[in-house]
Amino acid sequence: MIRDLLRLWKYVRKYKGRLIGGIVLFFFARVCEASIPLFLGVGIDRLASGRNDLMFPVCGIFVAVILRFFIVTAARIAVRRASFLVQRDLRNVFYQHLQLMGPNFFARFAVGDLMTRAIADIQLIRRLIGNGTTMVVIFVYATMFGFGCMFFLSPQLLLVVLPPLPIVLIYAWRTSSKLGVASRRVQEKLGDLGSHVQENLSGIRTIQAMAQEENEQKRFATHSQAYSDKFFEHARIHSLMQAIMPSLAAVSIVGIVGYGGHLVLTEQLSVGAFAVYFLYVNMIVQPFRVAGMIISLIQRAAVASQRLHQVLDFEPEIEDKPSRGVPEVIRGQIDIQSLTFTYPRSSHPTLVDINLNIAKGESITIMGRVGCGKTTLLKQLVRLLDTPTNTVYIDDHDICKYPLQQLRTQVAFVPQDTFLFVEPLRANITYDQPRRSIDQVWHAADAASLSATVEAMERKMETIVGERGVTLSGGQKQRTTIARGVIRHAPLLVLDDCFASVDTETEDYILQSLRKLRVDQTTILVSHRVSTAKHSDRILFMEQGRFVESGTHEELIRLNGRYAELERMQRENSEAVYTPNRESLGIER
Amino acid sequence: MNVRTQTSRDYSAFEADLSGAILNTRLLLRLLKWLKPYWFTLTVSILLVCISSFFAIVLLLISSIVVIDHIFRQETSALVPDFGLIDLTETLAQYTGFSTLFIACSLYVIAQVVWALAGHYHRVTLTLAVVNGLRDLRRDLFQHLETRPASFYDNVAVGRVMTRVTNDIEALYELLRGLGSLIGEFLPFCFALVVMLSINVETSLVLLMYLPLLAVITMVFRRYTRRLFRLVRQSVSALNQNLQENLNGLQVVQISGREDYNYKRYQRINTNNLGFETRSMRHETIYTSFNENIASLAIGVILWFAGGKVLREAITLGGLVLFTRFIDMLFHPIVVLGEQINILFRAMASGERIFQALDWDESLHEPENPVTLPERLQGKIEFRNLEFAYRDEPVIKGVSLTIQPGENLAIVGTTGSGKSTLIRLLNRFYDIPDGSVFLDGIDVNDIRSKDLRQRIGVVLQDFHIFSGSIHDNITLGDSSLTRARVMAAAQYVNAHEFIETLPDGYDTLLSERGQNLSQGQRQLLAFARVLAANPEILVLDEATANIDTESEVLIQEALEVLTTTRTSIIIAHRLQTIQNADRVLVLDEGRVAELGTHDELLQTKGIYHTLHNFQFRQDSGQRESL
Repeated sequence: MIRDLLRLWKYVRKYKGRLIGGIVLFFFARVCEASIPLFLGVGIDRLASGRNDLMFPVCGIFVAVILRFFIVTAARIAVRRASFLVQRDLRNVFYQHLQLMGPNFFARFAVGDLMTRAIADIQLIRRLIGNGTTMVVIFVYATMFGFGCMFFLSPQLLLVVLPPLPIVLIYAWRTSSKLGVASRRVQEKLGDLGSHVQENLSGIRTIQAMAQEENEQKRFATHSQAYSDKFFEHARIHSLMQAIMPSLAAVSIVGIVGYGGHLVLTEQLSVGAFAVYFLYVNMIVQPFRVAGMIISLIQRAAVASQRLHQVLDFEPEIEDKPSRGVPEVIRGQIDIQSLTFTYPRSSHPTLVDINLNIAKGESITIMGRVGCGKTTLLKQLVRLLDTPTNTVYIDDHDICKYPLQQLRTQVAFVPQDTFLFVEPLRANITYDQPRRSIDQVWHAADAASLSATVEAMERKMETIVGERGVTLSGGQKQRTTIARGVIRHAPLLVLDDCFASVDTETEDYILQSLRKLRVDQTTILVSHRVSTAKHSDRILFMEQGRFVESGTHEELIRLNGRYAELERMQRENSEAVYTPNRESLGIER
Repeated sequence: MNVRTQTSRDYSAFEADLSGAILNTRLLLRLLKWLKPYWFTLTVSILLVCISSFFAIVLLLISSIVVIDHIFRQETSALVPDFGLIDLTETLAQYTGFSTLFIACSLYVIAQVVWALAGHYHRVTLTLAVVNGLRDLRRDLFQHLETRPASFYDNVAVGRVMTRVTNDIEALYELLRGLGSLIGEFLPFCFALVVMLSINVETSLVLLMYLPLLAVITMVFRRYTRRLFRLVRQSVSALNQNLQENLNGLQVVQISGREDYNYKRYQRINTNNLGFETRSMRHETIYTSFNENIASLAIGVILWFAGGKVLREAITLGGLVLFTRFIDMLFHPIVVLGEQINILFRAMASGERIFQALDWDESLHEPENPVTLPERLQGKIEFRNLEFAYRDEPVIKGVSLTIQPGENLAIVGTTGSGKSTLIRLLNRFYDIPDGSVFLDGIDVNDIRSKDLRQRIGVVLQDFHIFSGSIHDNITLGDSSLTRARVMAAAQYVNAHEFIETLPDGYDTLLSERGQNLSQGQRQLLAFARVLAANPEILVLDEATANIDTESEVLIQEALEVLTTTRTSIIIAHRLQTIQNADRVLVLDEGRVAELGTHDELLQTKGIYHTLHNFQFRQDSGQRESL
């Protein structure tokens, strides 16, 4: 736990001036605060002895209070500002690190989980620095000055006050950890409840269609009750703590009343000192009430630090170690030599001894069943996976020797899933270089058969799309991602199953415009459809990580193997969807 | 004929962010309705807080009036109320023979214990009532939302509705807890006030003058910081959105080489956030320091002011000490109120949103005297001149059609021809005029929607998978379905094979919305579900999405199993499905354009013929469904 917290020092060190300054200021603030009861005691004693001279104690109190206000404000601002600075730095470091991560990392950490780490965990660390430091400092100073002043007023009485205090501390310690656990449980149950509601409402049509409302209400009631129970449990523990802590401290108070009273009666203690003693006990006990909070904050921040470092310690999977001598511009010739690739934590290889030579300007279609390794192979070409050295060569140089940035900008890879950012269409299409002219964007949209769709939109290229924007259909999204690839005019274009939701006519159009645009440039496609494949220079059929067939459409049909079988199946069991637009049918109104 | 018209509603209410900035008593009173069943617990709780508050005062009285005034200085003032504590101490001392000091200590201990116990049980009972009341409110809200018709969910964003059940109810917890702690603060405050006023009115007034000052400062401060808080919140959510989007689209970021650009953008947002956070923190810090110190300043004021009084013997020394101890009791509630006021406003807005949802009375027509359906329906379906308009736009324009028991009808048509609407109307997703749809000769408006839906098995394109095991997803909570029945159903529809390959077979837990299954697998699972429930009628919207050729074959086989024994209506997208159907219905712009077998329709050379040719021209393509 300590180790996890110490690792944060690296980020705190930059701002240690503010922190130490704050801590010193807190000391002086506490001096002022501790002097207030002393002045009050003096005042009471003067009154008790019949003196009317209160100028000194009253002025003392005023000065102490005003000084304290300024000092304590400055101290708190210094420490809290440091905590916000650390928070900012941690966020930046975290963000930068995440950008280097690859698939192994994301297989281990879900996005939701990473978001929690970025938001809640960093916030906890900030609170430890901002509030935790303050609390610890107050705790230490209050105890120090409280005991100091009590000792100064009456050492004998201090002996009576002392013994119960360790019990208070131990109790606070133990209850706070219980409270921490209870509070986590509440959060967990709240999370369960939330995800149930979300899931339920997203599927409300099915639920109603299947007449499952009552069943769902019962399930909801279970979650709701579980949450209520945990909530109540947490409240109960907290309330008990609120009752017991002051009661334990009251033992000391009784000591003051009893023994202190005796001292007053025997004239060994003044009435003023007696009255003020209560205030000092309060001064010590008050921070004890938040002792639980401090402890649980420290514990939670330690866990947060651990969780944060789990991520930060994760080395980037893809090493970017460019070596000199690689050409600055890729031409687009690919040579793969006995490439075998196994995913980490997998028992068998996904790609087995792949050998492939693609000439510059060739167009290739790779086919095969789901999970045969098509995407895995394509990802090697932009090193989205950790490609073994000396297996994949581009223009006769090992792919691992190219700077990552160069490789990924000159090999345009269009992935299968159509992710669009919540930004205008224009920005989505020219994502790699935001400063391209709008003409270039329209040009790419033309090639991807997207311009008619965009023209129909009210704000055209400025239409915001993505999760919180205009909803595009699956086909429109795919065409946008294709445009995003096309606009780059990369020497090597890799399209991973990008036509699944695009109708064949449109697909034909896009493929034709690609052929026109990409004269002498290499293009690799993955597709399930024979109609897509048959126009390529070469078709490669994959099965369990190997190429089993290779050749032109005609050659493979003649071969009468897997490809021919697929062609027959697709012809007979046509997948065609009977749902065109009226317009495309040419039906007149 | 009674034609139910759909009143157009303003759904924008579910989009807007209500921000109630006023104390809405009507709302609070309405909330009390859910606390009513727990009135006894609440009464006990309030009684307990009175007891605990009283003893909080007693504790202070013992240490000041009894000990300082009576025991130390043997001076008593008729003005200072001691609630008979001095007499009690004296009597007990005489009776037991112990010293008065010892008795005072003992009374202190007793008062402390009573204070602690009463306080604890006050908080526990209060929480219990609140937790139960809100649980009930949440239940009622969920039940209400769960039974809103499809037209409601067509028009509102699910996320917006969801937050009402989660975040908004959560805000009410905060509110009621806040109010609870305010009661716990204000009662001692009132008691202290009474005692103070009876001791010395002038000194009390001096202290009381502070309160409005503090209240005004708190108000001004809160108003000022609310704007700042909003800026902080906005910048935080911008920050988080940026991060989340970057993570979701990281692959695109990496293959586009945009890391540096994006990092700079994030840094800008982050720095922006730091600015707002710092400003807000400075204000907050100054305010809290001010609050703390103004209370300490009051000690000096009391000493100065009361000092003179003591000499004039208007107030005792103990009374003075008591005053200094009351300061906390007076100021703390104001500070707490200041802290709670934002929560209060937030909760007001939440309450409004909750009640707005509860008051949303859009619902499906249910018959007053529902028909009891026979054990087994024959499955004859009749549409009689069915008309339906959606948002004032006619979608179904007089469809008349009879589907015989056991018949297998395929529906085809262009996008927007009304296919989906037709099957949704059969399933009573929307209100329809009386006398337009009949099931075995019974008007569906005379059947409870729940009963009707149990007789019609629906497989929609995007089928909802419940988080839970495969088994639970097939039985849907019907415990009369044994594992053997479930397996048999799965086997019939070709789902058994893939289920067996999953790590825990039928007990494999499916993630939310079945993301660990492929589209084809989800469809097979939906088939198994229908077969297990064994409804008389099957309604299917065939998937248009990309399903690999092998799964396609399995699905076609399963479909034959499902349709042989029951009336089935399928929105068909695939040639084979159409060829297997008894009759094909061609819908065009909400009307029956053509009806007959595949071969008959081809010969009439109408829309179906055009559709078929269109399909033939691109023999192995897939069409995007818009």
